[in-house]
Amino acid sequence: MSIFYAIFNTIMDAGATVMLPIIITIIGLIFGVKLSKAFRSGLTIGIGFAGINLVINMMKADLGPAAQAMVENFGIQLDVLDVGWGAIAAVTWSSPIIAILIFAILATNIIMLALKATDTMDVDIWNYHHMAIVGIMVYYVTKSIPLGILASVIMAVITFKLSDWTAPLVEDFFGIPGVSLPTVSALSSVLIAVPMNWLLDKIPLFRNSKLTVRNAQKYLGFFGEPAILGLILGCGIGALARYDVSKILSLGVSMAAVMILIPKMTSLFMEGLMPISEAAKNFTQKRFKGRKFLIGLDAAVVVGNPDVITTSLIVIPLTIFMAAVLPGNRMLPFADLAVVTFRVAMVVAITRGNLLKNIVMGLVSTGTILYAGTITAPVLTSLAQSIGLDIATDGTMISSFAATSLQLSFLVYEAFITNPIIFVPLLIVVFAAIWVLVEKRNKKKAAAAAE
Amino acid sequence: MKRVLVACGNGIATSTVVATKIREACENHGVPVTVSQCKLLEVESKADDFDLLVTTGKFTGGSVSVPVVGAINLLTGINEDATLEEILGYLK
Repeated sequence: MSIFYAIFNTIMDAGATVMLPIIITIIGLIFGVKLSKAFRSGLTIGIGFAGINLVINMMKADLGPAAQAMVENFGIQLDVLDVGWGAIAAVTWSSPIIAILIFAILATNIIMLALKATDTMDVDIWNYHHMAIVGIMVYYVTKSIPLGILASVIMAVITFKLSDWTAPLVEDFFGIPGVSLPTVSALSSVLIAVPMNWLLDKIPLFRNSKLTVRNAQKYLGFFGEPAILGLILGCGIGALARYDVSKILSLGVSMAAVMILIPKMTSLFMEGLMPISEAAKNFTQKRFKGRKFLIGLDAAVVVGNPDVITTSLIVIPLTIFMAAVLPGNRMLPFADLAVVTFRVAMVVAITRGNLLKNIVMGLVSTGTILYAGTITAPVLTSLAQSIGLDIATDGTMISSFAATSLQLSFLVYEAFITNPIIFVPLLIVVFAAIWVLVEKRNKKKAAAAAE
Repeated sequence: MKRVLVACGNGIATSTVVATKIREACENHGVPVTVSQCKLLEVESKADDFDLLVTTGKFTGGSVSVPVVGAINLLTGINEDATLEEILGYLK
């Protein structure tokens, strides 16, 4: 027994780059991937983590001091750096309990499919990280594995149901039938968009708005190009830090590099996970042969919509401005400005492309993300360090537009760590009530349509 | 050698799946090819340097001068072969 303990400890001590290949190989073997292929997957993901570690280090070393100088010079306290969802996903996949959570989420999906409680077949294993991180953070704070698993399972149930309910929008508005989008980073905005859309429709100014912005792509297009955005932001922050010109330019190029390199490193994760994702797809599809279901896809398939792009190009600069002026916000939006499209996609679908409403609701969505990201940054930073992202402890923290910065994930996480005995049952009851109401309304609609 | 640009929402997730499948299919058919990935937002500024644009969702966000193939089938697994045939048709 002590030998196993010694082996386990040696691996734990070696850190994430050693843990990851082992965990992923095991997950792959369970799904029936061949050992050699599973091991290559694991190794690729380990390499991805090493790469992300390098880039985040560079980002923090260059941007951290500038952000602190900004605080001293102008009192703009933006010392929580948005390192991007990819880095957070890397932390998620490196958690010691990730394997348990992945199977818990998959089991939740299979059980719900079997009980006909959902139509969404979600084998997009990659995007499980959004549901898993909530469980990992709950586990990190409470030290309770069951609570962590429960948090991820609740995330999963809510995600699958939101996917079911938004699937008609994906078909009607985006024109993609037969799929749903269980991607929390896109779905979370539904929590903002549904009530706000109802509210704004009471006001004629919003309801009847015909606002259009022509040539948004032509004039604002550079906000959609990560390299240019990184360069501008880097130079701007350098100027606010009162650097000299050569240092301003060098920060600009270095931040452009970060914007391009983070996705390159993250794509190694995706590449490594692909064989496992395919195996999971075959596994589940075989078991539910003949059953008609919605195939769960990454929300990446809808963000090419022109309304989504226009809204994002306007929301991105306004979000940067908002970060500077919102009282209490400390998050410096950066790497995840590149994926604002995901945060506004569902908003656009719900308003059916009403640009004025899209901008207002998009900003409420990114604004709440900034606050939730600020509030949960200390725990996220400490978790990332414990897992092996060796970021300097210079007073700046890390966060992103993903993980518990997302409205849905934030609510579930807070319910679990504030007072699980009261808030977790409350959360379940409230969601169950919404479930019953929505399905009742949908049935009525279907009946009306059938007549 | 023909050049393919695969675009998706963040240039990482679904485009990696599609790019890998295109590379594998080309290898099996002995078609030499280079495959690059990008974000949909960057398509307009990049597409002109390529022979074919493949998107993972519906792309209606701009005008490009190269042929465009929608490859959502490579993600869902339905009619996957037909889509790969279409892509190979442009690359042979």
